[in-house]
Amino acid sequence: MKKNNILRRDFLKGLSTLPFLGWFAFGFKDNITREITKKQPDYHEILRIKQLDSPKEKLIPSAAFNGKQLRFGLVGNGWRGEQLLHTLSYAHPETIEKNTSNGKLSGHFQQFVDNEDVNVEFAGVCDTFKVYADRGAAFQSLKHSTPPIRIYKNYREMIADHTIDAILIATPDHTHAQIAIDAAKAGKHIYLEKPMTHTIEEAVELRNVIKDTGVVFQLGHENRQQMSFKIGREMYRKGVLGDVTLVRTNTHRNSPDGAWIRNRPFEDLANEESIDWKEFLGKAEWQPFDKRKYFNWQRYSQFGTSITGNNFSHQYDCINQVLNLGIPESVVAIGGQHYYKGHGDIPDVLNAVFHYPDRGLAIIYDASLKHGIYRPSQILGSEARMDIDREIRIFKDNGSKRYKNIETHPGVPIYHYEANKDVDAFTSATAQAYIAGGYGPTYIDGKVIDATYLHLKEWFDAIRTGARTSCNIDVGFEEAVTFNLANLAYCHKQTVTWDKMNEKAIIG
Amino acid sequence: MNHKRVHCYTGWQIFGLTLLRVLIGWHFLYEGLIKIYTPGWSANPYLSGALGPLAPLFKNIAHSKIMLPVVDILNEWGLVMIGLSLFIGFLTKPAKLFGILLLLFYYLAYPPFSGLVANTWVEGNYWIVNKNLIEMAALFVLYLFPTSQITGLERFFQGEDAFIDKV
Repeated sequence: MKKNNILRRDFLKGLSTLPFLGWFAFGFKDNITREITKKQPDYHEILRIKQLDSPKEKLIPSAAFNGKQLRFGLVGNGWRGEQLLHTLSYAHPETIEKNTSNGKLSGHFQQFVDNEDVNVEFAGVCDTFKVYADRGAAFQSLKHSTPPIRIYKNYREMIADHTIDAILIATPDHTHAQIAIDAAKAGKHIYLEKPMTHTIEEAVELRNVIKDTGVVFQLGHENRQQMSFKIGREMYRKGVLGDVTLVRTNTHRNSPDGAWIRNRPFEDLANEESIDWKEFLGKAEWQPFDKRKYFNWQRYSQFGTSITGNNFSHQYDCINQVLNLGIPESVVAIGGQHYYKGHGDIPDVLNAVFHYPDRGLAIIYDASLKHGIYRPSQILGSEARMDIDREIRIFKDNGSKRYKNIETHPGVPIYHYEANKDVDAFTSATAQAYIAGGYGPTYIDGKVIDATYLHLKEWFDAIRTGARTSCNIDVGFEEAVTFNLANLAYCHKQTVTWDKMNEKAIIG
Repeated sequence: MNHKRVHCYTGWQIFGLTLLRVLIGWHFLYEGLIKIYTPGWSANPYLSGALGPLAPLFKNIAHSKIMLPVVDILNEWGLVMIGLSLFIGFLTKPAKLFGILLLLFYYLAYPPFSGLVANTWVEGNYWIVNKNLIEMAALFVLYLFPTSQITGLERFFQGEDAFIDKV
């Protein structure tokens, strides 16, 4: 009798926590749906768009083996030239050795082995510095055996070679136009590094020649392959931002290296014998040999295109890709060289405003070479602000009608696109800003791929199929004119207006 | 003679210890279930952001195509099993030990020591002692003062001698 009573009491005690488990189970279902939807909000609902097509983009299979192998030449094997070669799976034996440990290539170079073959052969190189030219000829393919690479005395010899199909141009800015014009007239397809030209007149001439000759042209703004800008463009077109009134762009750097005061590899081997100074000068007026001018030409307005051509051109093309703005009606620019003196005439503080009355907006450009905190470009719309580089953050505007009912916390975006972060660590501030800016890897079709590789691949495919390139001569023309208007405004200290009919800049 | 330690708890002690057991069980169970139910959950971001001297170890796991899925499953289901076990009071001895082990990993991945980069995963101010460490200690106390034989299903698996609340 007694035992039975004890058993019943004890039975209940052993189960004492189970009712609470029941309570947990009942409440859990509601809670979990709420928690998970909070963490993974439906962006289509929040941004009031039906669907987003850009992230669904598939990688186009290469046309590489649809025809013969393409033979390309490289004009200018400096730091960018070598990077372009790496992207096409070529590297100097010393570079390969330095980046191999335990028989394995570092991730950065392994990707260039793993990328789809574009079926091209690096056939020849020329550079005004003999050491760079010789280095170029010593490059090896990372994918297959390397036939000998010819060294040309100058670009004219290269484009006279009928076995060369296409050329990559990575020379100082002031020679971009002439080399590209001559190459197009010789029937060579062209991949031209940014910025397109040193002056507006050159841009007009190059545009005309490319159109007349019909060669396939790609300007080196690889942001055109970056997924974030594709998404940004689609969102803008679907009304996510409302009416855009201001676009903020900037250059923030804070070091001599960032101000293009750089020590270059093998500089100590440079002298009047090893450098073809006359060839380097191109159309610039004759001046005595100066090693500093040769290696840091960016700092001299007769060779380089100022901070606008070096940096703003990147961001301009990204914004142009998103908003399709074209050339502004008028530009003002003001600034000066206050800190890095005695080495060229490039300003280190610069502000420029680009006015587009027909679009009701302006682009503002701020540049400081003494402040290095990175900031993405910002597109300010009546409904929201979009911060955009390799990522996208959209912030609701307080006066927004479209997002009136969306609850937000200050500083928290209503939409955040973050591309896959699976990238190797980069060390220098300028390199990190480069990657963050969207000029490094992109995320497409489930893969992380170098944007420059996609940009070059697109160009080679276009040569084979006749398709249009995404950074073609028309948008290249817009880039060259826009930043050159700012340079003119800065030089002349006056407002500069674009005469669309006559394709000229009107100063004052 | 088979001596079995029998704990002498007052009513309030039973209540307090059981409450602690259920709260920790609830915590583990919820953490585990929400990971299972969140589509695409992985320990990858957590492990990749690890700090402190053992950070390289955690980052290796994050990048390993073999180890990461194992760690994901162990976390999701480990948390659930430990939570359930503590909640209902069944097989709690191993549950408490595994719980301490899991918490130890979390503690080591984001150790609260000065001199480390600011930890964005954490609210509050901690030095050496943080909530993971406290929960580990709480589990240890529960291990020393078990209640599942009284207020848990383990009560039914002990034989007649154990149906005694007080000596």
